[in-house]
Amino acid sequence: MKKLFTRASLLTVGSFALSMLILLGIWSLVTMLTKNEIPGPVATWTVFYDLLQDPFYDYGPNDKGIGIQLWASIKRVFSGFLIGSLIAIPAGLLMGASKTGMRLLNPIVQILRSVSPLAWFPLGLLAFKASDGATVFIIAITSLWPTLVNTAFGVASIPQDFKNVGRAYGFPVGKYLTKILIPYALPHIITGLRLSIGIAWMVIVAGEMLSGGVGIGFFVWDSWNGLSLEKILSAILIIGIVGLLLDKLFSGFQKWVAYE
Amino acid sequence: MTTSLIDSPDVPVLGIQDRPVSIEVKNVTVSFKSSGKGQFTAVKDIDLTIGKGEIVSIIGHSGCGKSTLMNTISGMVSPSAGEVLVNGKRVTGPGPDRGIVFQNYSLLPWLTVYQNVYQAVDAVMPACSSEEKAEIVIRNLAMVNLSAHQDKRPGQLSGGMKQRVAIARAFSINPSVLLLDEPFGALDALTKGSMHVELLKLWNLDNRDKTIVMVTHDIEEAIFLSDRVVVMNDGPSATINQIVDINLPRPRHKKDIIHLPEYMAVHDKLLSLLVKTYSIDDEVVD
Repeated sequence: MKKLFTRASLLTVGSFALSMLILLGIWSLVTMLTKNEIPGPVATWTVFYDLLQDPFYDYGPNDKGIGIQLWASIKRVFSGFLIGSLIAIPAGLLMGASKTGMRLLNPIVQILRSVSPLAWFPLGLLAFKASDGATVFIIAITSLWPTLVNTAFGVASIPQDFKNVGRAYGFPVGKYLTKILIPYALPHIITGLRLSIGIAWMVIVAGEMLSGGVGIGFFVWDSWNGLSLEKILSAILIIGIVGLLLDKLFSGFQKWVAYE
Repeated sequence: MTTSLIDSPDVPVLGIQDRPVSIEVKNVTVSFKSSGKGQFTAVKDIDLTIGKGEIVSIIGHSGCGKSTLMNTISGMVSPSAGEVLVNGKRVTGPGPDRGIVFQNYSLLPWLTVYQNVYQAVDAVMPACSSEEKAEIVIRNLAMVNLSAHQDKRPGQLSGGMKQRVAIARAFSINPSVLLLDEPFGALDALTKGSMHVELLKLWNLDNRDKTIVMVTHDIEEAIFLSDRVVVMNDGPSATINQIVDINLPRPRHKKDIIHLPEYMAVHDKLLSLLVKTYSIDDEVVD
């Protein structure tokens, strides 16, 4: 029996509304200080509203609706994120499960994970001969590290008690993996995935600015060339909101796999 | 151990000396590599023979190596010298002939009560059909009165219930030896008392066939449950101080036995064995 308007939910909604008001206030202040060089909330809203009127129009390669741009970006982010995770999770399991694996892989991880996504872009172009492949490549290679590190940490920190159960009752390798190692590590893995999807979504804008074509990042760059700051600000809002939703999605997964 | 007596069907009840041998600990020493100091010897030159169906408690102060000694029987720890035989076979690691109940229950928190037991059964008896395995799990959970809670996760259970799951898990693989490492240490006195009775009930249901070795630091618990109590000296390099026979008739009732002179005598003896080593010059301790 959940009430819709409990004290706690009212507090959450209220504080969110207040927080948005503060954001709008700062925004308006910046607009005032820059003498309308940066458009204010009202001017941006007019353009934003226009964009949403027909989000899926398609007038050729350089003129597509915001919905098409956004969808193209989300597809890229998820392909890059998926490829990255498919590498990161097994590598993390290996790294966490064996000391040798940790010794061999950890230095590589520490060196590569701090490389900027833009630095990878030329290598991606070289490897895939196409800007689209390069964008997915840089998303994969920059977003996989948190998943890898968290998976490895999760596996390495399995309490001796649980390992003892496996030993005492002679769990075969498959059962040990599916009944002890993975269930224990899963919350850690999901935490890694949550951080990774955040990075992937941050990288997409930079990637698409370089690659061109279609996508929210390209839309930002295209709007800059068309000198429409209102469109840029609208895109920033959309990027922020989608990022928030992705994070909520993975925090939902986290709650779902928590076992205590 | 004369085998003629064992084989003879005419002898229904065997004295302790006449039981077939279940566990032989032969001249066992366990040393660990410790950082800095080099080697740390936990137990030294331990000899202990335990008969089939016997309940033996190992008692001593914290850190005296009683858990280490038991772990050499379970196979979780390998002796540095000497050997342990269970049913005549040398112990080289954990095995399905020995069921272990860990100190902190060690249930897998992401599995239900049913699955916690089922996975152990499944690992030990891969050849059985899933119906047979399910039947074993259900029967063992019923024995510890947890049928109603079989779909709960360990996090939803009380300490006593968790320990009953752990005991059901150990019983479900039908081991000939049951090893309990301070099994009731974390329970309150009332729960502990009823767990003692339940453990003995399970042991009786099985025709007192299972050998039970239990590590404890609770004198009353040791007396109530055991046929013999092994008193350890303090570590490092702990040895057996003395093995005390508990000649109380079974079935034992907690309320009745504490008034028996034999109970009081053995209680005093164990207390003085344990406290002697700790009383420095403080008369109040006794």
